[in-house]
Amino acid sequence: MDYFEPKTIREAVSLLARYGEKAKVIAGGTDVLVDMKFKEEPSCLVNIKRIPALSYIREDDGFLRVGTLTPIREIETSSLVRQKLPLLWEAAHQFASLQIRNTATIGGNVCRASPSGEMLAPLLVLEASAVARFSRGEKKLPFGELFLGPGQTLLGSKGLLTEIEIALPPERSGSVYLKHAVRGAMDIAMVGVAVLLTPDAGGKKAKDVRIGLGAVAPTPIRAKSAEKALRGKAMARAVVEEAARRAAADAKPITDHRASAEYRRWIVEALTRKGLAQAWKAATGKEVDR
Amino acid sequence: MSLNIRLVVNGRRHTAKINPATSLLDFLRDTLGYKGVKICCNTGECGACTILFNGKPVNSCVVLAADAAGAEIVTVEGLAEGDRLHPVQQAFIDTGAVQCGYCTPGFIISVKALLDRTKNPTAEEIEEAVSGNICRCTGYTKIVDAIQIAAERLQARS
Amino acid sequence: MAKAEYSVLGTSIPRMGGVERVAGAGIYGIDLVLPDAVRGGVLRSQYAHATIKSIDTSEAESLPGVYAVVTAEDAPDVKYGRTSNDRYMLARGKVRYMGDPVAAVAADSEATLKKALKKIKVEYEPLPVVLDAEAAMKADAPALHEEIPLPANLPKDTRVKNVCGYSTLHVGDPDRAMAEADLVVEETYETKMVHPQYLEPRIAATRHEADGRLTVWVNAQAPFGVRSEVSKLLKIPISGIRVLVTEIGGGFGGKATGTHSSAGLEPICALLAIKAKKPVMMVLDKAEETVSTTVRAPVKVWIQTGVNKDGTIVARKAKLIFDAGAYSGFGALAGSRCTQMLAGWYRTPNAHVDGYIVYTNKQVCGPVRGPGGPQAAFPVESHMDSIAAKLGMDPVEFRLKNIPKPGERIAGVPKLRDVSLGETIRVAAEKIGWGKVKLEKNQGVGIATGSWIEGSGPGGGAVVKINEDGTAAVLIGKVDYGTAPRFGIPMIVAEELGIPTDDVTVLNVDTDASPWDAGTVGSRSTLVAGNAARLAAIDARNQLLRMAAKQLEASSDDLEIKDRQIRVKGTPVKALALAAVATAAHNEIGEVIGRGYFDSKAVEAEEKEKGSSPPFTSHAAIVEVDPDTGNVKILKYVAVHDVGFVIHPQAVEGQIEGATAMSIGQALCEQVLFDDKGKTLNPTFVDYLMPTWNMIPKIETVLIKGYPGAGPYGTKGAGEIGCVPPPAAIANAICNAVGVRLTSLPLSPENVLRAIREQKGVEP
Repeated sequence: MDYFEPKTIREAVSLLARYGEKAKVIAGGTDVLVDMKFKEEPSCLVNIKRIPALSYIREDDGFLRVGTLTPIREIETSSLVRQKLPLLWEAAHQFASLQIRNTATIGGNVCRASPSGEMLAPLLVLEASAVARFSRGEKKLPFGELFLGPGQTLLGSKGLLTEIEIALPPERSGSVYLKHAVRGAMDIAMVGVAVLLTPDAGGKKAKDVRIGLGAVAPTPIRAKSAEKALRGKAMARAVVEEAARRAAADAKPITDHRASAEYRRWIVEALTRKGLAQAWKAATGKEVDR
Repeated sequence: MSLNIRLVVNGRRHTAKINPATSLLDFLRDTLGYKGVKICCNTGECGACTILFNGKPVNSCVVLAADAAGAEIVTVEGLAEGDRLHPVQQAFIDTGAVQCGYCTPGFIISVKALLDRTKNPTAEEIEEAVSGNICRCTGYTKIVDAIQIAAERLQARS
Repeated sequence: MAKAEYSVLGTSIPRMGGVERVAGAGIYGIDLVLPDAVRGGVLRSQYAHATIKSIDTSEAESLPGVYAVVTAEDAPDVKYGRTSNDRYMLARGKVRYMGDPVAAVAADSEATLKKALKKIKVEYEPLPVVLDAEAAMKADAPALHEEIPLPANLPKDTRVKNVCGYSTLHVGDPDRAMAEADLVVEETYETKMVHPQYLEPRIAATRHEADGRLTVWVNAQAPFGVRSEVSKLLKIPISGIRVLVTEIGGGFGGKATGTHSSAGLEPICALLAIKAKKPVMMVLDKAEETVSTTVRAPVKVWIQTGVNKDGTIVARKAKLIFDAGAYSGFGALAGSRCTQMLAGWYRTPNAHVDGYIVYTNKQVCGPVRGPGGPQAAFPVESHMDSIAAKLGMDPVEFRLKNIPKPGERIAGVPKLRDVSLGETIRVAAEKIGWGKVKLEKNQGVGIATGSWIEGSGPGGGAVVKINEDGTAAVLIGKVDYGTAPRFGIPMIVAEELGIPTDDVTVLNVDTDASPWDAGTVGSRSTLVAGNAARLAAIDARNQLLRMAAKQLEASSDDLEIKDRQIRVKGTPVKALALAAVATAAHNEIGEVIGRGYFDSKAVEAEEKEKGSSPPFTSHAAIVEVDPDTGNVKILKYVAVHDVGFVIHPQAVEGQIEGATAMSIGQALCEQVLFDDKGKTLNPTFVDYLMPTWNMIPKIETVLIKGYPGAGPYGTKGAGEIGCVPPPAAIANAICNAVGVRLTSLPLSPENVLRAIREQKGVEP
């Protein structure tokens, strides 16, 4: 196995250009190392941990920028994240064990592109962008387009993720991330639901609603028809329930050893209903009308 | 290919030549001989191989040894001062929290890290700190006692 | 017996061996470093059922760094098994589950080993696979072991297939009693396969010594079993094998020797070492453990009970289908225990139970902690609640109504001496707040009881040697993996010798030196090694006192050992240093060596006459069910146990709490899953879900007193019984919370929600 510790982004990108599919990028390593032990060693390992200044969380003119090497635990303990992006904090807080949070990076979780990846559904509803470097220059890839399938992203084999750029949601918005698993944070999610909800000025209607679903399709997805059912509507219980049913229909789950497709749909419905009510309460301080 | 790394383990400097695919767990156990770092699931799920990496608890089975270059590592072997056990180690013995003892080194490291962060942890903080450490013998109940006693003794000491 | 009668018994001394464990000393099997050793590994079948057409090892053998490749051809043509010799150490002609060992390699590194295993070419001809035990009994099922006859005790004209064991129980006239009962309740239940998942991987290491003997290092629970197995399978005399036990990181029955566990690791390792002419060390990784080593068998149970209107049980009928897996392993024994327990541990004057132990193409049943117990108690104790509900009776009241009396029989116990069952129920009900605790919506309370019998079996010995400084070394054949050998045993020896516990060392097992023992299994450590060590200590004490009596010119009856002295009772000035007497022994009897053994026959005879007092338990739980997801959270858990006299309270509580948590795992989330070809879908800890801290409440253990058992000072076994009630206690609490009776484990969120939705579906 060839092994490199590039010291700059440019160096890393040129290694990826040279080795292409044969190269595997390693950041925290919590997933890559398991693959190396139980599946196969890659012919080339590009360890980007030694590239300086890729671990940061900063606010910048309406955006929160998170460096690709930022450990999940840093996100979880950042007061900035807690205050400005509670949704991201919630996802980090339910991300595996503390030991793993200390090691795993946000960039690694994104590039792994597992449908159940804890940070993905939240970043999807935040409409974040992946800032990536290719040999021809930098590209901003919106999360809505980033994921192609399990383990597959627009980064391909040659792009290097350097930063997650997140536009701060309106201050009046409310959000929640609900994960369903037997052992809570310790497990891979059977279903994850992220909700970001912005009420109108009167605090009666949903102005903007975004619902992200994890572990119920080959990639994290938005529950588009559910969102549509809510947009501009007064947040009444019947509307929320209808949206939850639609979210279940938007989901395209499979049956595997963690859960059946049918059960995942039930959970999507239950968590969407609960998530909408919680996000609404977080935004307005009010319960959903009966 | 191989790689030269330097690191500090339990206050001692080490220089070693490693295969870059090696995990920190295998390196600590097989190359440096820190057998107190236990090998179990090898997938980052059980916490038996927990060590402190620059003060933070991590599963050494899913960390590259190469990433430890320049780092300060603490393993369970580094906690006692001479013959005097660390209060967390002593608390595990006193409360009967050590049955087979195989999860114990990783558990002790997680608890030490917790009590380094906070002297008086809440139930939630304890749960967060040790849910990544699986114990198959005790049903955790005696370890609850151990953490409580260790916290009390450390508070009394400071 | 009151604590005050003893100086150390009844207190919780620090666990012997605790310091090296918390300090991370390299003491376990996995930490073993043998100079010049090479690495061994096993090639396992990739088919659940197939004929082996050919094995070509030539490419693997020619790989640089490969020292030996072995197949069945390299081993004597000898089969093994506990109740039926149905298995080879390496597959010969046929494989019967994915995980069956086919070949093994010794190589200079892990990397070479992996490469060599890949280069072994095995040509298989796949055969039809049967994974369900009920299906395996049918005429059209593939036959797994054509050459093995059906059990001789099967009733005539029973038309079954693949049955490797049959067990039955018949009392009174169940047909008639059932017909005359006021109410008959009938249900079916199912449990799934779980793996013991001890944390330390299994290892075996072997060195072929210059004198021709084999030294085998193991982290096994039954070292003498390993010795006999290696001897039998490799046709090496017992005298040519020495087994040394390392410290052991968990076992729970899963490490109870190769024969029981079906890992067969030690004989393979020995075969490799002989052929490689090098020491060989083998380690199973956790994924390999899950697919290849022994498990708690899945069962299907049909159960029927007749009761009178007042709640008196009059008859029980049941049928068990017990899935032994690909080989008989421990299946017939665990299945037999399970069969007996299906008759329950309440007064049941008429009963009939049939238990069929059946081969399937899956992992093999082992003696996993309380083998057969949870599989029986889940149906029996869930069923008790169902009956109570049909009668309109309180579940606690219904159980108390049917407590057997001293002198009566329950399954497995012909005559009861004392019965603590009722007291455990009353205490558990009180501690959980039965009928009093305020439950919120979707919360429920449940209770379940259990019993367990210390596994019967041969006796075992102990030797207590007194060193010239007055300290004692104890040799027993049982191993320490968090059990009695380094908790209660040193206390017993200290108590009888009158010396501090710090002066007692319990040695790990070396089959060349330690007394023979059947193994650290069956809740028998204190019963067997404790009784033996007590008698050995008394023997050593008597030898010391006899020698001292001469010098002190006193009768040895008037002497006592205290403060490291032998002195005349009441006249402490007349004393000799214990060390001086022990040293003087060199010129008198060589050394003070006390010997004791556990006489299992005498205990059996006594119990036959006076009756026996098995341990009983009641567990009670309060749970909360999330009606949207089916998630079950345990809010409170009480475990009440009668384990007779308690030598080391902390250790006993620890055993009970550990067993309880393990069984909560089986109740809520653990199971080994398969695809339709028999491939395990969740071999690693990523997907084999064991309880983590956040799932287990602080278990409140209560030890009730006053019912002495057959162990030293009146102890009873405590290591397994905690596994028996949890699945039923939790299922009963779920039923109380949301009104659904779950009849299949695990009580996972999906299964619970499905049941809730099905129930809603039938309601208008």
